[in-house]
Amino acid sequence: MTIQSVMNNLSKGRTFLFSDKLTPYFYILPSVLFLGVILGFPILFSVIISFQKYDLATLVSKQAQFIGLQNYFAVLNQPAFSIALSHSLKFTFFSIFFQFTIGLGLALLFSKAFPMSNIMRGLLLSGWQIPSVVTGTLFLFLFNLDYGLINFLLTSLHIITEPIGWIVQADTALSAVIIANIWLGIPFNVIMLSAGITGLPEDVYEAATMDGANGWQKLIYITIPLLKPTILAVLMLGFIYTLRVFDVIWIITKGGPGSATEVLPTFAYRLSFIHFNFGQSAAVAVITLLILFSGAVLYLRAITSEEVL
Amino acid sequence: MKSVQVESYLRFALGLIATAIYLIPLFWMVSTSLKPQTEIFQTPPSLIPTHPQIDSYRSALGLPTNRPELYITGALYFKNSLIIASFTTILTLLLAIPAAYGLSRFDFRGKTGYMLFLLVAQMLPSVLLVIPLFVLFKNLGLYNTHAGVILADTALALPLAIIILRTSFIQIPSVLEEAAWIDGGTRLQVLWYIILPLIRSGLVAVGAFSFLAAWGEFVFALSFLGKPELQPISIGIFQFIGMYKTQWDTMMAFSTLVAIPAVVAFLFLQRQFIGGMTSGSVK
Repeated sequence: MTIQSVMNNLSKGRTFLFSDKLTPYFYILPSVLFLGVILGFPILFSVIISFQKYDLATLVSKQAQFIGLQNYFAVLNQPAFSIALSHSLKFTFFSIFFQFTIGLGLALLFSKAFPMSNIMRGLLLSGWQIPSVVTGTLFLFLFNLDYGLINFLLTSLHIITEPIGWIVQADTALSAVIIANIWLGIPFNVIMLSAGITGLPEDVYEAATMDGANGWQKLIYITIPLLKPTILAVLMLGFIYTLRVFDVIWIITKGGPGSATEVLPTFAYRLSFIHFNFGQSAAVAVITLLILFSGAVLYLRAITSEEVL
Repeated sequence: MKSVQVESYLRFALGLIATAIYLIPLFWMVSTSLKPQTEIFQTPPSLIPTHPQIDSYRSALGLPTNRPELYITGALYFKNSLIIASFTTILTLLLAIPAAYGLSRFDFRGKTGYMLFLLVAQMLPSVLLVIPLFVLFKNLGLYNTHAGVILADTALALPLAIIILRTSFIQIPSVLEEAAWIDGGTRLQVLWYIILPLIRSGLVAVGAFSFLAAWGEFVFALSFLGKPELQPISIGIFQFIGMYKTQWDTMMAFSTLVAIPAVVAFLFLQRQFIGGMTSGSVK
């Protein structure tokens, strides 16, 4: 039974006015209360303890001392923080650069049907929902020094002469976790960009073909400009999702060797659960949140401009 | 006509190469899980196991094998993940349906603010939530319980769930609903018997999203569940790595078992998933 047929069968009545002002709140209240306690409270709590001396003793005594911006100064003065910040930025930039470029290429490739294109597309996206712990474990094995497939392929192809200790060497570990993260992010980029491409008007392309434009010109002068709102949204979401990545890195390297793959989330986690310095950890989390918020503002602008289109 | 055909073949070839490269890690995971240990360490490695075995799977699930027993028994982790993911899905749907309905059918003060909060809430790093929730759950007696992790996982899934379902509700014309009220249905009856069946695909997408998010969730489980008998598969894998670093066949069997629901759900629900994701975050 389609919507249309249901509608035709029912008599048309006058529009009911939503006169009761309280009714909508009755519907949203459960979710507001829930999110208020489980998300709202933690944000507030983190902000508050980032200004307090909060450690294991505090956890027991529940008496925290207000220390102003000391946690922030202490964090910002640590070389470990600048290292984590710079790794976070590198991790985010390179992950997104490759995820996006590959994703756009694949979305364009699959924008026209070809033999078996639906099956291939399905397979290419099949890893999208695989838990990151699995991806992490998988790449841990692929990057293994002695038995890893990556070293085997690279030596067989004579790209490298000696196997590389990808994740046990400080100079390659960050690249290794970036590669794992790129693989993990490709389906998301393909899905979002494909949706954007599907929504592009057909007639513009027909007109361009009539005017003799080639494929490359159509890409540069039509597809990319028209796709701009989607591209911005994908880049911003990518930025937000990537900057907060924790599990893949924790599984593959735990932020090591040394601090070679330490990023802001692993640094914050370490401060809390290994050094029990909850106040400083909260300061790091709040700084991360501020960076994310600046991304979010750009993201919201990007989607608002999309709605206008 | 001919150039169209050439283009189609070219796309086919490129598509085939891209798909093959993308699938290598997954193929390698399954292939390794079926190899005897000696075959894993041989060079050059065999592409497809020459002497396939499934002891790795039995071992990952804690079933008896003729190998030394592992301390880690997968079956328990799977049971815990199933509990956590199922309750997260139910709770998410219970909270998201009314909220999405309210946001799609009414105009009220604070609506824009709430929508903005939902968008921003999706961006919160789990690490930020972990300490406060740890303290909260300790005080409420929810530390070392599935309930704590379920609450936290639901909070992560809920914002996206509300946004996706709101789009689904908006697509159902309100005339339809009004007609049903005239026939004597209350708002809640009409919602339950007429509207919800119509947004089935949205509900399926949201259910699957929430289930899989909780199925593989790592940070909360790592921080809120200290007792081994309560821990889900993500922690199982993590501990396996720490303890049995060279038992790659069992580790890959374990990973395959964890990945299967995610891959199968995606292949079956591709359209709903993609529709949900794109409507939820772009529009």
